[in-house]
Amino acid sequence: MKVTDFKELLIRSLDLESDPEIMSGKIGEAGATFRFSDGFRDKVLEKLYASGSAVVREVEFVRNLNSVFYRIALSGAAAIVILLISIFMIQGSFSFDSFLGLGNGYDESIICLLTGN
Amino acid sequence: MIRESYRQKSENDLVKASLDGDKQAFGEIVTRYQNMVARTVKGMLGDSVYSEDIGQEVFIKLFHSLPDFRGEAKLSTYIQKIAVNLTLNEIKRRKRFFSTFSQKGNNEMHEFEIADHDTEGRKDASELVTKALGRMDPKFRIIVAMRMLQGYSTKETAEILDLPLGTVLSRLSRAQEQLKGILGKL
Repeated sequence: MKVTDFKELLIRSLDLESDPEIMSGKIGEAGATFRFSDGFRDKVLEKLYASGSAVVREVEFVRNLNSVFYRIALSGAAAIVILLISIFMIQGSFSFDSFLGLGNGYDESIICLLTGN
Repeated sequence: MIRESYRQKSENDLVKASLDGDKQAFGEIVTRYQNMVARTVKGMLGDSVYSEDIGQEVFIKLFHSLPDFRGEAKLSTYIQKIAVNLTLNEIKRRKRFFSTFSQKGNNEMHEFEIADHDTEGRKDASELVTKALGRMDPKFRIIVAMRMLQGYSTKETAEILDLPLGTVLSRLSRAQEQLKGILGKL
């Protein structure tokens, strides 16, 4: 392909009406290909999986932390639900007083308690 | 034989296996997407050893963030976002470096170190593309690279770059004008 044709192809590839997939294919066929050098995959794996690699250890730590977090979060959520059910069963409502443990208290009994009469 | 079995695995299976420490599974992810990453990184930064380093960094970062990958987006989109971010960071870093240490801070042609390709024709075409992209405004450059080299639609480009569709459309038409001017001088 002549340089002028290739330049024209590059410009046309940005036309909104053109099919980007077809145009990029044509640009690739014309020779504009970009590849990493041979052995790229092995270099990446070597960096990641070299014995005692910090990257792998860090990823494992994050994974473990996530799984521990989910366990704690689940247990916490279950504890909150049990607490709510027990409050409702004992106090009979979810009012603010119920949460403070004052739901079943009578004003008179509190006054008696405070005054001693 | 082993590689063949990995080639048939789905993206999600490869991600799960990689998280379980399967080196070959992550290797297959690298094999599948290295050319896609090369088009973004080398297309925008030029063909140099630095581009290779950025490419490796893309996959190392991917490996780091695999525990956070929920599979809601395609793995290719996820990788592409990482590649775009790292490439743009590198462009910013170079721009800072050259504006500090060079008088030619506005001319980005010196950013590229074109290495030898297998054939002269390929070298010319790839070199022309990298030269043209290198002279473009970075905000246009990335959009052009996504469309011209990756073949992404406007919608896909907007998704990868987290930009509104209208912004991508307007930048694309302005980029085309800029590209015409640049190619006219090359």
